[in-house]
Amino acid sequence: MLSLQHISKFYQVGGTRNFVINDISLEVEAGEFISIMGPSGSGKSTLLNIIGMLDEPSSGYHYFVGETVHQLKDKQRSALYKKYIGFVFQAYHLIDELTVYENIETPLIYQDFKSTERKAMVADMLDRFQIVGKKDLFPAQLSGGQQQLVGIARALIAGPKLLLADEPTGNLNSKQGEEIMQLFKKLNKEDGVTIIQVTHSEKNAEYGSRIINLLDGRIESSKQL
Amino acid sequence: MIRNYIKTAWRNLIKNKFYSIINIVGLTAGLAIGILILFWVQDEFSFDSFHKDAKNIYRLELWGGTGASRQIWQSTVYPIGVLAKQQLPEVEDVVRIGYNGDFASYRYHDKVFANDRVAYADPSFFSVFSFPIVSGNPNKPFNDDNSVVITKSTAQKYFGNDNPIGKVIIADNKQNFTVSGVVTDFPENSSMQYDMMMPMSFNIKHMLAQRIDLSDNFDEYDCFTYLKLKPGTSLKALSAKLFNIHIKHHSADTDVAYLLLPITKMHLYNADLTDRGITMVRVFLIVAILILIIACINYVNLSTARSMLRSKEISMRKIIGAAKSQLFMQFIVETALLFLLSAILALVLIHFLMPVFNQLSGKQLIFDITDYHVWMVIVLTISGTLLASSIYPAILLSSFEPLKALKGKISSNIGDVMFRKILVVTQFVFSIMLIVGTIVITSQLNYIRSRQLGYDRSNTFSFPMRDMGNHYDAVRAELLKQPGVLDITRSNQNIIQMNGISGETDWDGKLPGQTFIVHLMTIDKDFLSFFKMKMAAGKGFTGAVNDTSHLILNEAAVKQIGLKDPVGKRFQAWHMKGTIIGVVKDFHFASMKEKISPAVFYYYPSYLGNIYIRTTGKDAPKAIAAAQKLFKQYNGEFPFSYTFLDEKFNDLYKGEQQESSLFNYFAAIAIGISCLGLLGLAAYTAQVRTREIGIRKVLGAGVSNVTIMLSYDFVKLVLIAIIIATPIAWYAMSKWLQDFAYRITIEWWMFLVAGLLAIVIAFITISFQAIKAAIANPIKTLRSE
Repeated sequence: MLSLQHISKFYQVGGTRNFVINDISLEVEAGEFISIMGPSGSGKSTLLNIIGMLDEPSSGYHYFVGETVHQLKDKQRSALYKKYIGFVFQAYHLIDELTVYENIETPLIYQDFKSTERKAMVADMLDRFQIVGKKDLFPAQLSGGQQQLVGIARALIAGPKLLLADEPTGNLNSKQGEEIMQLFKKLNKEDGVTIIQVTHSEKNAEYGSRIINLLDGRIESSKQL
Repeated sequence: MIRNYIKTAWRNLIKNKFYSIINIVGLTAGLAIGILILFWVQDEFSFDSFHKDAKNIYRLELWGGTGASRQIWQSTVYPIGVLAKQQLPEVEDVVRIGYNGDFASYRYHDKVFANDRVAYADPSFFSVFSFPIVSGNPNKPFNDDNSVVITKSTAQKYFGNDNPIGKVIIADNKQNFTVSGVVTDFPENSSMQYDMMMPMSFNIKHMLAQRIDLSDNFDEYDCFTYLKLKPGTSLKALSAKLFNIHIKHHSADTDVAYLLLPITKMHLYNADLTDRGITMVRVFLIVAILILIIACINYVNLSTARSMLRSKEISMRKIIGAAKSQLFMQFIVETALLFLLSAILALVLIHFLMPVFNQLSGKQLIFDITDYHVWMVIVLTISGTLLASSIYPAILLSSFEPLKALKGKISSNIGDVMFRKILVVTQFVFSIMLIVGTIVITSQLNYIRSRQLGYDRSNTFSFPMRDMGNHYDAVRAELLKQPGVLDITRSNQNIIQMNGISGETDWDGKLPGQTFIVHLMTIDKDFLSFFKMKMAAGKGFTGAVNDTSHLILNEAAVKQIGLKDPVGKRFQAWHMKGTIIGVVKDFHFASMKEKISPAVFYYYPSYLGNIYIRTTGKDAPKAIAAAQKLFKQYNGEFPFSYTFLDEKFNDLYKGEQQESSLFNYFAAIAIGISCLGLLGLAAYTAQVRTREIGIRKVLGAGVSNVTIMLSYDFVKLVLIAIIIATPIAWYAMSKWLQDFAYRITIEWWMFLVAGLLAIVIAFITISFQAIKAAIANPIKTLRSE
């Protein structure tokens, strides 16, 4: 599904190159659940952002669902990720001005779904996450765990093949975190969503099928669970 | 999707009440004032364009005189238009309009009115122009020479709701006119404004009785001539042909040159297309645009400044799939919603401001929402300002790089701080220019009011005596007995705005080919002393019999013809000839916009129809009552109307006074709106710098340090604005002053005052926010980080 070959990301500082990602190659099959670990500054988030096409590598080859991403134009790339990728953030990043319902609905609006379709899809999602009662509340009125639930619902609403999560439980207490991880596992097993998550927590990493350890922009180790 | 945009936009408005209110108030004020001024401008441009054939109708004017005395005459001789129609195929029709000063009062049964809006006109007046006849025969507006066509409201005034057709109006108790037609009232935006139209044929007959044949008279220039031309006529060729006709009949007038002024231009231009009001219209147009720009800048500044606070939302929208164009639309919709609100409020505001504005501007604009012109102005203004205010912020906001924005790395370069500073400077440049304009205009008007006119016009009223003039000596003696009457004199016309002019002049030592146009005035023997005028040479009239062959020149006249030792020399103007016995010092008998013109004074007791009565001021009402009683005694039912010289003098500057008061308001509004924007920016800056302020306070900064630190950034911008505005304002106001022959010089203090005013107002605005930020408890502000 995803193939990164010799991907590097560096910044030019004076005469020297400062590598954030240093020659990483990675293959991801559909249906995998990968946890990326590593200390601060090891390049986890940058790698995730490159996979999610929010960031561009300085060099290397990037293939995704059969497309040659590094050769695509901005528009095509954004069409690609709109269609296949969902994002979940540590700080949830819900839109404060929109209700729960509207937050979940927004990606559909941008993908030109008809109003009746949107209604059905959002209702379905609210039902599935058991947040129907909260649909008219604003993010500020929700707990962190609830907000992250909405964030995940939003990421999933358009039916992505790949879910990218950047420390999804980082701002949550352990109980809430566990619930989110259970949800990820379920999504991966039952719905076949490929998941790549960045995490600091050993425990959360073990929900995945593979753990990749980064250090100084390189893959230090990779183990299949 | 639009619904979603509107919903978000509305929530944003509600959530940020402070900024929303600043934006809405600024935009509402800017739009309302901008649209009002544009209404005024549009009205000025619309003058005389309501005629169906407006494109093909021209007023015939001409250049006359030589050298310094050459000028344009709006009125022509009587025969030229008729001859043109007879001989030139491109002239389709002609209308002659003559001022009707033959009658002073009009009576129907017991109703008597004085009316000076009466004209003589050819019947073609009603077919060439679009003044529709609503009753009577449009093809034959005048039944005979003694017919009159009146306007609807005149008919109402004389006859109430009775049918006016066939009713008889008696002029001056001796001449009957039968109403043969009623025409709709002349529109406000018509240069021609009449209440009654009498047939030109009556005038011609009337003048023939005085042995003046107007049909072959090339001396009397007192008839307006309008020509309706075939489309595509060459004006240049036509004026040459008109000159040839003129010369054939009056070969001496080789210096005549005919001009054709389109009637749609006659309100704002002279026949040679020089300024007759167009400059003021342009100035107002510019002021309207400046005020609208200032209002737009507020919006752009606040929305770009605050975009930083929205970067998270925008980034998120991008990440979950928003295309740039979709975000762009979202911000356009947001701006449009705010504009819609402001526009509605502005229309309500205009509705209430209209009477005030009319009073200030001397116009009678009507806010008629069924008029498409009104909508054109409104729609154009609002869409123009919307476009100007929405595009930049929309582009800026939609082009965030989402990752950076999410991480808050964008704060420093977003919404280009420099760009915002330039906009603030621009606002204040405009505001300061308007303040300088106000100061200069006010000073010039004060200067005019206080300038020595060369004569004493205080507490003096004046009126035409009519039949009372035949008993002047008795009247004078009677009035002088009244309490409050100090002195009395008379002349043939009002001293303010003398308008008797002659170019038929001759004098001892006149060079061949030299022409000289001079103002004529006949005065009583005590006229000069009454007005406390001073003699530069010789002496005044004494009332002796031979004084009728004496005359007095003013200094300007002596200077212009280059006469040395004028006293004792011979001088002639028109048919009045005589010996110069004195030279009077120059005095202003016209607007200060004109240089003092040459004038000659005769003593001619039978021509002295205008009386001047100087009062003590306190007892002026008593003096007026006494004068009125005497007037009625000799003139019966003629309406009595008097003018105080002071008022008549002020009327000369009515236009300037309106400009001045309007400018006061415009400047105040411009600076008000600018400061609103500044208030918003200051509040925003304080908000963004909360953490910095907190740290500084922890390190020991006092309230005053912080206040000064925050204020300085903005005051600096106002200082830059002063530097930029000064030369521009100086140039613009010098241009304006050039219209005045007697004017103030622009002084440096005017810019200083304008600048200080701007700084003080700006500082007060900012310091309010700055102090608020400075006194906040640092522990609190830092904790919330």
